Amino acid sequence: MSAGPVPRIDRRAIADAIPLFLPAIPFGFVLGLAVTEGEMPVAIGWATSPLIFAGAAQLAVITLAGTASIWAVVMAGFVINTRHVMYSAALAPAFQRQPRWMRWFGSFFLIDQVFALAVLQSDRPPDQFRRYYLTCGLFFYFNWQWATALGMLVGPTVPDSWQLGYAPPIMFVGLVLIGVNRVPQAIAAFVGGVVGLAAAGLQDRLGILVGAVAGVTAGALAEVLSARPRTDATAEATS
Amino acid sequence: MNAWSALAIVVMVGAMTYVMRAGVIVALAGRPIPEPVERVLRNVGPAVLAALAINLAAGGDGGPGLEFAEVAALVVAGGVALWRRNLIWTLLAGMATLWLLSSLT
Repeated sequence: MSAGPVPRIDRRAIADAIPLFLPAIPFGFVLGLAVTEGEMPVAIGWATSPLIFAGAAQLAVITLAGTASIWAVVMAGFVINTRHVMYSAALAPAFQRQPRWMRWFGSFFLIDQVFALAVLQSDRPPDQFRRYYLTCGLFFYFNWQWATALGMLVGPTVPDSWQLGYAPPIMFVGLVLIGVNRVPQAIAAFVGGVVGLAAAGLQDRLGILVGAVAGVTAGALAEVLSARPRTDATAEATS
Repeated sequence: MNAWSALAIVVMVGAMTYVMRAGVIVALAGRPIPEPVERVLRNVGPAVLAALAINLAAGGDGGPGLEFAEVAALVVAGGVALWRRNLIWTLLAGMATLWLLSSLT
């Protein structure tokens, strides 16, 4: 399609990415603060940004480290990030038309926001898709690094009376409720929260896993029930 | 926590995350994920984040570790999240509730 050299950076990708990045700044800030208050050495806490590059999992790992066994912390990060399998599956057809290096390299940047942007572009010609995707991915990657570093710099100057240590659970509540858009997901979240509360006293933060398993099971049951032909009972439950 | 344990956690979670992002793209090629598996995956995020939020809020002591101001902050934050669908407003509303109530008690 395109004749002659094409610009390497897709300006439209930047324009699309900025509104999605702005809400990530306070998140990066909370994360940076959590790094300075957590039990991990700060350099390693910060290294979650370049190495894991997934805000919710980073926040979980940083706040849980030192309060539970290594395996419990790793498990929490793992479970939170399983949603990326869905993104990977949804974009697999578009990546089939990409060179091999792009499949290995590009998928590293497949965060929530990049997925949300790229999935809308997956019908574009392969070279355009690749430029758009990599522009978005690298934009988020580099900006995420300074956002968390800034939180670490400013964090220690914030007085204790601001109680910012309580920001992570609030962020997680927000992520849950903003992300829920189907009834089974709402049921999964509700059951996950209630069972998680009942099990919160378990040692090694096992309550997270117990709550998550209960929530996923409840959500799956709700899916099965709502997939059946509607009876009075299910119609009532989903209305 | 010593540096090696911390590094081990970060490297393991980072590697697992990469595998989950690249796995289907690199290995499964164009084949779709079975529908039942995808249905389960869709519910993992809400379930685990809800359990995590509660667990972090309660601390290591379980339910009794929750204070009224903290519970109220979570409830208000949840309401604002549903209403505005915006993480910044959610954070501000939750923290403001926490500050207000803990200054009163």
